[in-house]
Amino acid sequence: MFYRRWLMHYLKRPVVTSFPGQVDPAAPARAPLEPAAHPLFRQSLTLRQVDGGSCNGCEAEIQLLASPVYDLSRFGFALSPSPRHADLLLVTGVITEAMVPVIRTAYDAMPEPRLVVAVGACATEDGGGFHGMPGVVGRLDGVVPVAVRIPGCPPSPNDLLAGLLAAVGRPARTAEAR
Amino acid sequence: MADRMIVGIPESHATDPLSDALGQMARDGAALLHAFLSARGLTLVIAPAARGAPEEMVLGPGPFSRPTRAGHQLFWGIEHTLPPIVWHHASRRRPVRGRGLHLMPLGPVRGDVSESLAYQLVVLGDEIHQVRLRAGYKRRHVAEAMTGADVSAALQVAERVTGTSRVAHALAFSLAVEQALGIGVSAADQEARVVLAELERITSHVGDLALLAASTGTVAAAADWFRLKETLLRFQAALTGHRYLMGVVGPGGHRRPLSRELSALPALLAAVRAQVDAVASALDVTNSYLDRLHGAGRLPESPDGGVYWTGFVGKSAGLMRDTRWDAPYAAYGALTAGLAPVSVNRPDAYGRAWVRLGEVRQSLQMLSRVMDFRSPVETAAPPERQGGDRGVGYGMVEAPRGRLCYRLAVHAGRVRAASLTTPSQLNWPAVPLALEQRNILQDFPIIDASFSLAVSALDL
Repeated sequence: MFYRRWLMHYLKRPVVTSFPGQVDPAAPARAPLEPAAHPLFRQSLTLRQVDGGSCNGCEAEIQLLASPVYDLSRFGFALSPSPRHADLLLVTGVITEAMVPVIRTAYDAMPEPRLVVAVGACATEDGGGFHGMPGVVGRLDGVVPVAVRIPGCPPSPNDLLAGLLAAVGRPARTAEAR
Repeated sequence: MADRMIVGIPESHATDPLSDALGQMARDGAALLHAFLSARGLTLVIAPAARGAPEEMVLGPGPFSRPTRAGHQLFWGIEHTLPPIVWHHASRRRPVRGRGLHLMPLGPVRGDVSESLAYQLVVLGDEIHQVRLRAGYKRRHVAEAMTGADVSAALQVAERVTGTSRVAHALAFSLAVEQALGIGVSAADQEARVVLAELERITSHVGDLALLAASTGTVAAAADWFRLKETLLRFQAALTGHRYLMGVVGPGGHRRPLSRELSALPALLAAVRAQVDAVASALDVTNSYLDRLHGAGRLPESPDGGVYWTGFVGKSAGLMRDTRWDAPYAAYGALTAGLAPVSVNRPDAYGRAWVRLGEVRQSLQMLSRVMDFRSPVETAAPPERQGGDRGVGYGMVEAPRGRLCYRLAVHAGRVRAASLTTPSQLNWPAVPLALEQRNILQDFPIIDASFSLAVSALDL
């Protein structure tokens, strides 16, 4: 039953957003992220997400990265079920003390070279209003070395893609540059 | 920490006052809204079977309030721990032992993109015999963060309890504040609240259906559902400036008015309805999808009549409980006339998906209705603070996952005490029960996705 619809998708225009050529008006404008000076990775990149005490908002947006609208595989990115196969760790949430050893274990399990990206306002700023609560560390710095920070509550999938491209030294093209 | 300890589903306590109270409630057709522990003992907040205000029932100190070691609490059979994570802590549930059984730990880092929760699966070959949940990895102390904060700061915390049901949390919080302080809300704002709440429900359910389709390997349907979700999220961003509708609903009205994009809602509703019908009718004849859902994760009959289950978990078990009908809030009193909650007595993964699909269609219908009798496009001015400066209030709403209840004590613009019960708290205990019904490991992701509960709303 889906074959007919697949065919229609091929015949009609694709539904994939032509990001980063097209700026998404729905995504809030933010300061452009600086690309990494000496990028460790240039081509394919395997991602693993770890939740350090999030509200599920960042996870919902990361899940949308794999959807056809954003399709992160176009950039050579893929999600991995295991940190042992991952090049890049996406960490979300306020970072609770209970999750600190888990995040460290996941980081240690990753092969070198490896990168950590802090995702969302909670992991990058002040713990999203939970700062000072018992068992809440508040930020990812100091737990594992952080390469890139993607702010936003939650960051839109476009923000996430821009941050990931910055992490691998491929800055997102803007509408003006095109 | 100990003051948040609640124990449910007692196993062998015929004289347990909690069991007796819950059994009586089930016989009366009442529903458990909320439970919290104070110096007086365990307080149960009950919604009577007929429409009416919630009642409180206080149970004195008893077996349910047995003090545990600091950092441990028992909550509906789910064990909460704080670091260090203890794997062999005595649980009230008897462990399963025998030849060939082994323990399969899963989590807290699990799945592709998932929240931190550890499962302990006791398996014999492929068959799952017992499931224990380890929660508590991501406790953020939500109620404590609200306590002492001023109302606007506490509201921001409430909106960050669960990222995909921000309107429901903001609305329950606002209703509690409004009841506590006696603040009125204009009719236009009441209708705008319905628009936001139903949009959120549709978006959440469509996202759940996407993950369910992905878990069965039906990637084309998952892609369709995800694309639909993204369409809705973009509309929500255009309507309110936030993809997940944060920072809009507040006590007394709206913190931000809705934009003129609201006039595009009827066209969007038609497009969404067409897409939902297309994907759902294709899935209805996709055997690889249906075969995985039928009979998977069937909830057993519970001795207390399922007094806990809420939302689509309860509705798929034949319960007709929905806060929008039981205790109407916002503009639901007029909207729900002539409609009934989507309910089916089919407590398996298929039933839960069926109820959500029915709720999406019903929400589209409600949105069409509210757009019909809605006159102005923009919502009203900033909230006017009137009424008293102190009081205690309840806020109950039907969040996408079920009944959400806030209880707030407000004094001089500050939250003096806060406690909340989320639908995920009430429904998480159903996951081990459903998994243990002769399911195999290959069904685990499907059953997990069919509940699609939030861990962030369990580890409060």
